[in-house]
Amino acid sequence: MSLDQYAAPAVHLMVNGQDMTIDVAPSKRLLAILREELGLTGPKRSCEIGRCGACIVLVDGAPINACLAMAYQCAGKHITTVEGVAQEGEGELDPVQRAFLEEGGFQCGYCTPGMVITVKALLSHTPDPNEDEIEEALSGNICRCTGYGGIKRAIKQAVKWRNGY
Amino acid sequence: MGANRQSLHAEPLVRHPQHAEEAWQMKRLWGATASYTAGGTLLRTQWESGLAPVPAYLIDLSGIAELHGIHDEADGNWRIGPMTTLTSCRSHLGLQTAHPLLTEAVRNIAAPSVRNLATLGGNIVSAVGDALPALLACNSVLQWRTEQGITDQALTEWLEAEQLQSAWKERLLVGIQLPRQTSISQTKRILAYHKVGRREAFTPSVVTVAINGQLGDDGIWRDIRIAAGGGQTRPRRLEHTEALLMENPSNSPSLAVVYQSLLAEFKPKGDSFASADYRRRTAANLIVSELWKAAKRLTEER
Repeated sequence: MSLDQYAAPAVHLMVNGQDMTIDVAPSKRLLAILREELGLTGPKRSCEIGRCGACIVLVDGAPINACLAMAYQCAGKHITTVEGVAQEGEGELDPVQRAFLEEGGFQCGYCTPGMVITVKALLSHTPDPNEDEIEEALSGNICRCTGYGGIKRAIKQAVKWRNGY
Repeated sequence: MGANRQSLHAEPLVRHPQHAEEAWQMKRLWGATASYTAGGTLLRTQWESGLAPVPAYLIDLSGIAELHGIHDEADGNWRIGPMTTLTSCRSHLGLQTAHPLLTEAVRNIAAPSVRNLATLGGNIVSAVGDALPALLACNSVLQWRTEQGITDQALTEWLEAEQLQSAWKERLLVGIQLPRQTSISQTKRILAYHKVGRREAFTPSVVTVAINGQLGDDGIWRDIRIAAGGGQTRPRRLEHTEALLMENPSNSPSLAVVYQSLLAEFKPKGDSFASADYRRRTAANLIVSELWKAAKRLTEER
């Protein structure tokens, strides 16, 4: 058995709508690729063991901890960071971002990129989430400033805007 | 997806077999220098915390189609590919109906962003995953690629013997079978899963318990499987207590005896946060409270 044939090629990704091929070690963490290779510092480095959610990004539309995912696991996939959440060229925030801003859904803001991504993912498959669904969705995002009251208000406001009421 | 002992290596080479046979051959070739990887969520945290060295080779199982998917088979058994993510298990409507214990257990593991990466196979081969009590209570069978070909093994047996069998380190988990649940006439099925942690959500478990039983109209358990684990305790069936329950009517006096049996039979590992005694009592309380609730419901329905 020739093992070289199984070696992973350079990693091809689509990051915030941009096609790219990156020459990195296949086991390199997605978080390091985004922050160090691509300069996308929205996803935050914090616990680095998948507990806090500050680094969450969308991988093919699903929230994933970028500190846990390795480069080879993201090959050929669409990555969306908080920098790519707003519609390009429109110059406006996404309704979820705007709701966090207007409802005081953050204080220090360190967890906010992960929160915004998580809420985007939640509303994409559950447009009108109940309290339990919100709590389950947010269970992997830790905020040590707000007590979650402002975050929950932001989600409810984003739901209203999104659903036109 | 195998328990691995690994040698230190800074940047592992990643290999991408397309078939289970190739993956197994790679592991045989590289032995302890290679690690099967599924979602990699546990491995990554072990590397980061220094609990396990980074191996020289990662054998990525994600491209092996035969290791994915949830199948309702013609004989009524369910077969789950070990590379199936916890999210897929959690959201599968058929599995929710047929094996709600498992889908409830999975709902209690980590958070959605982790469950999107983590797999059922990874949770199993960790040997302490919170899906294990539910799988034990469902009488699950593991299917392995071994030297002898594909081998079936009761999950109970694997959990008890795995640490002692160094030759099993190279095995590849290729399937998880949940046998069809047979119903006994004039009984009601009772299911319960509890995970207790140190906070409400996304918490490492202190204790996990699962119950899968059939309580007769006369208050006697005709069939019951009870499993407990949590933390670094390998989950196991509490078979002595199961036997005790099936010999005695489910009423309050016997529950006191059952409680003592549970305290004697469950032997969890303690740590700095929760002692073994605390865990033992928590598990016993959870199990007895579920048995009491089942008996109470039965009395109310009579």
